[in-house]
Parts: sequence; C-alpha cells; structure tokens
Amino acid sequence: MNESYPTAGEPQDMPPGSPRILPHGAPPVPQRGPLPPAPMSSGPSGPSPVPLGGRAEQAFDPPSGMTWARVSPRLTWHRRIAVLLWALPLTIAGAFVLSRMIGLLGGLIWLAAIIVACAMGWIVAELVYRSWGFAERADDLLVTHGFFIKHLVVVPYGRMQYVDVTAGLLEQWLGVATVRLHTAAAATDARIPGLPASDAAVLRDRLAQKGESRSIGL
Amino acid sequence: MGPPYGPPPGYGPGHDPPQGPPYGPVPYGAPPRYGAPPPYGPPPKPPVHFSVGVHRLHVATAVINALSVVVIMFVVGGYSLLITQTADGVALLLTPQSLARFVLVMLPVTAVAALVGFWTWWSVKFRIDGDDLVVETGIMRRRNRRIPLSRVQAVDVVRPLVTRIFGLAEVRVELAGGDQAETKFRYLGRSMGEQLRAELLARAAGLPGHTPEAPERPYWRVGFGSLFGSQLLKLPVIGALTLFVALLAFGVVYREPGVLAAALPVLLGLARGVIAPLLMHGGFKAALSPDGLRLRYGLFETRMQTVPPGRVQAVRVIEPLLWRGYGWARLDVTVAGYVGERQVLSSVLLPVAPRHIAFQLVGLVFPGTNAEAVPLLPAPRSWLAPFGNGAAGTDDAIFVTRRGRMCHRLDVIAHARAQSVRLTAGPLQRLLNLGTVHVDAPPGPVQVAAENRELGEARAIVESAAGRAHRARAADQRTDRWAT
Repeated sequence: MNESYPTAGEPQDMPPGSPRILPHGAPPVPQRGPLPPAPMSSGPSGPSPVPLGGRAEQAFDPPSGMTWARVSPRLTWHRRIAVLLWALPLTIAGAFVLSRMIGLLGGLIWLAAIIVACAMGWIVAELVYRSWGFAERADDLLVTHGFFIKHLVVVPYGRMQYVDVTAGLLEQWLGVATVRLHTAAAATDARIPGLPASDAAVLRDRLAQKGESRSIGL
Repeated sequence: MGPPYGPPPGYGPGHDPPQGPPYGPVPYGAPPRYGAPPPYGPPPKPPVHFSVGVHRLHVATAVINALSVVVIMFVVGGYSLLITQTADGVALLLTPQSLARFVLVMLPVTAVAALVGFWTWWSVKFRIDGDDLVVETGIMRRRNRRIPLSRVQAVDVVRPLVTRIFGLAEVRVELAGGDQAETKFRYLGRSMGEQLRAELLARAAGLPGHTPEAPERPYWRVGFGSLFGSQLLKLPVIGALTLFVALLAFGVVYREPGVLAAALPVLLGLARGVIAPLLMHGGFKAALSPDGLRLRYGLFETRMQTVPPGRVQAVRVIEPLLWRGYGWARLDVTVAGYVGERQVLSSVLLPVAPRHIAFQLVGLVFPGTNAEAVPLLPAPRSWLAPFGNGAAGTDDAIFVTRRGRMCHRLDVIAHARAQSVRLTAGPLQRLLNLGTVHVDAPPGPVQVAAENRELGEARAIVESAAGRAHRARAADQRTDRWAT
C-alpha cells in the first residue's frame, strides 16, 4: 500500500493520482451560491474490499473502487515545526539544569537525547501524514488515520450535527485547516487535518449540504 | 380510562347527561346540557390548561426558598448569637439579652429571605405556546427560553423527601446536548406537575394538549427482597463483607482497636455499594404505556421517568456470576437526553429481574427484535484475552456483542441509532491481525464494541454495519416526534 505514496518534499500540493477535492477548473477560493457537485465517485457501501484472512494493512484499505483522498504534505511540516517548538524550551531548560547539576557532560547528553527525540518526531510526522486519508461515499464519509493505533471511521452524513473548520496560528501560517465532523457520539472523532484552506472550506460546505439533505433525528 | 373519542358510555335517554364532547343530537327528554352541576360533593378541580394564560410554580416554593436561606444563615452565624461566653467555656443561656440580640439580627435576615423567596417565585413564569414550551425568568432582566417540544428527550417527575411532605414535585424536561439542556420546574404541586408532564408528552407526540394521559399497563415490579438479595449476591460485595468480618475478628481476637481504621472504609464502601442502590431503586415499578416505558422508583426521593422507545440508544443486559444461578439480570440503558450525573442516575431500566423479562424489555425498547436469538460469532482466541474473547452478531435491526467471563454483559444497539462505525487496531492487535469494531452511541453507560476480531472480518463487519445502518435509517423516519 505504501508504494503508491509520493516521496516527501514533492513540489505539488496533493500527491499525484489522488482524487482532487476541488473540481477541475474551479476557482481556488470558496464561493457562495450553488456548490460544485462532488467529483468523487460515490459508490454505495458495498461488501468489504478485504477478503477474510487478509493482511493487517489491508483492513484499512479504501472502499472497493475508490482511493483515499490525501491531505496536504504541509501537515508533515506542521507537525515537525510543532515538535521543534516543543523541543526548544525543553532543551534550554533541561540543559541549564543538568549542566548546573552534573556539568557539561549532562548538558550534552540531554542535548543528544532531545536531538534523537526530534529525529523520531520528524520521522513519525511523515508516517502519520501518510496514514491520513478520507473518502466520500454516497451516504457516508470514511476517514482513516493513525500510525501506532490505526483508525477507520465511517460517519453517515445524516448523523452530522455540525461541521467546523479550525486553523491554529501555525496552521494559518502554513495555509492549512482542519475540518471536523461532530455527531452526537463523543467517540466519533472524524477530523481531517492539513487540508489546504480553500479545499477545507469547500469540503465543509459540501459535507454540511449532504448532512442537511440526509438529516434525521437522534 | 375510556377512549377519548366516540360516544361516551351510557349515552341515551334515562341516563345522566353525557359528560363527553357534546356532539350529535340531544336525545328527547334529556335534561338541558348546560345545567347546574350536581350540588352534592366538592366539585373536582378543573384541569389546568398550560396553553392558556401564564403559570407559576407552587407558592410553597417561595416559602421553601426563604426557609432554606434562613436555615443557612442560622447555621452560618445565627446560632453563635445565642451562645454566651462564661467562665468555664461557652454555654447556651437564653438570657433576655442574648435573645434580643438574636432577634435583632435574624428578623431582618428573615424578612430579606422572605422577600427574595417571593421574588424568585414571582419571576418564574411558564406556558405552552403552540409547539414550544416558554419559560420566562427574571423581572428586572428578562430571560425568555423557548423549548421546541419535538426536541424533548425525556420528562421526569422527581419528588425529594422534603417536598413529599408538602405534596410538591419537581418536573425536569431534558433536551439533547449539553449540561445546560435541562429545564427544571422546582416545585410544582403534585397534580399540576403530573398534568404538565402529561401535556408535554402529549404535545411532544404531536397530539392536542388536552389529550388525556396515556393509559399504562403494569409490567414488572421489583420486590424489596430480590433487590436486597441481588445487591448482596455480587462478588465484590461478598469479598468486602468477608474482609470486614475478618478485620473485626482479627481486632477482637488480638484486642487491637487499630483495625477499626481499616474496617471503616470497607463499611463505607459496602454502604455505597449496597445501601445506596437500595434507597435509589427501592419500590421499582415499570409500566408500559403508548408514550413509552414508565419507571417509578426510589425510597426517599421518588422519581417518575418516562423512557420513550425511540429515544433509547443502546441497552446492556448484565448478568453477574452469582446471579446466573437464579436467572437474574439487570438492564442498563443509554438515553440521549441525560448528560453527566443525570445519565448515571437514570441509566437503569431494570435493577434486577428474571432474564427472560429483561430480554422481553429489550424487545420492547427495540421493537421487532429479539436480542437473544441473534447468532453470535465468538472472536478468535489469542494471548491478548486468554480466557476467550467476546462474541458479536448482527441482524437487520440490531448489533449485539457479548463480553465478560465472570460477569456476562450483552450490549445491544439498533442500527438505526448508530452514530458512526469505527475500526481501531493498536500495535499489539495488529501484530496478531486483530482489530476492534465500535458501533458508537451518544455518550452514556452503554457503549458497544466487538473486541479483537480478525482484521479482515472486522472490516467486513464495519462495511455491513454501515450498510445496515443506512437501510435501517431509510426505513425508520419516525424519530422526529416523540415515540410516534
């Protein structure tokens, strides 16, 4: 499954071969008025794409006949910068305390430990980015994510209470946003981070529209 | 109680004038329809129409509010005015001086409390306006709350011990979402509270407000003996009892009073585990009515709860090890309206009942299903759960999982109620090619999950559950209104 992933640092925003969120030729800014139709192939929820006894990774494959829509690689950088921002004060404080207590050697060991942790954080950031994917089916949205603990969430559009788009300071600077779906169940954690901001707005509007047309009570 | 429509019984000449709606021709010889009422006996109180005029809480609310303020003031500072410092410590001497001091302080406090109590009572007004319940609070700063009745999740009548003495009741109206989504009427007269409850339920179901309260049929009553026995017959309770007795014996044999310090927490735990459920669920009665399942329970604080079948999200049948010999089971439920502490308080559908009664009730809550008949497939054995995993099964209407070796737990959720379906697999699980399928319900005590399924099968379960949920929702478009 991992073979089809792009290598990190490719110039294009979305990996090649992934279905585009924005239809071809659509302006990149969210627009009022009638929403563009969903470009995704929307197959009905059918049989499992995985045969019984399949490999562990296959259970998190996209539904049959579809591919996961991927998020922006800028998500990797969002996470990496966050790791650095966490590491910086930790390094300074820890190095200061340890060099006072043990000496220069302690400070250096601390520095080395932080560097190793950061390197691991950078690798994990890439792996976590690769694990994100989502697919819009006719009646539900599928989101998969997770590197250590793998998740696959199927949320029917009719169960959406509301959809919101959030972007923290770092996300705004990177030009990405997080789309989050809320249902009445707290455990339903269907969020899609690292979408380009304009795509996020379009996706939110489309999800909200689908939710409206299929809305039911609790 | 007869049917609300159609000719009233005993219609025709030679009988009393019809009491029902005056439709149809007046029979010959019948007395005039609008005559004076029969002079004997006190006339029955006319029913309250909440849609006409503005209504207030019971006047006694003002008195209770004022009294509680006075009591608090007395405890905080008032009693110290009665105490006089003497040579050997303090003493309660009712000298004219101390009495005068006490009255001088407590009289204004009482006056202010009475004023505040009256003010808070006067400021709360409510009425039913079309499809909304309107509650107005505040006189200086008006707050107007409109509650769409189609969104009402539950209406409970609670009667704490103190208010039972005064013949009062508290009515709680629950809405879905958030801790703020509850409206309390504290307190109404008992009959007024029950009328308000009946009218809210009738209107929430889309019936006219003057519809008489739906008749009910007694379903199950939990005797005190079986409730007490069921609370005792639990492994933790028996363990704690054994520990308590052993500690006492040790203390007596070795003349060591120190063990009391260890025995006391055990005793408190026992009180919490045995006495609290007894007080809470004593006198438990369940009845069936067209607007849902009616539960009445509580020894000191009585509650009357109506659980409409359409609002039940998931149920759990619990069979502890020691209950199985007697064929007992307990039924827990997740209802969307209750949040936080109230969710815990109102999560029990049956504290203890024979197994078949519990399953029958599950069939009533999810109509047209039989949770016992759903074939369950056991999960594969692995060293993650060496004593065997749970089992899971599904039919077109419900998803059922079974868990627990000692204490059997059977979780049931209707596909039409599922909020989402999730598949998760941790690193250990993935090593063993296992995954867990969650069928999510709104937050509550019952959460349904099929644990440690083979991953390919788990994905198949996810897809089938999503498909069945879609079909069930398409067939089930009736949840907009209460219980209809």
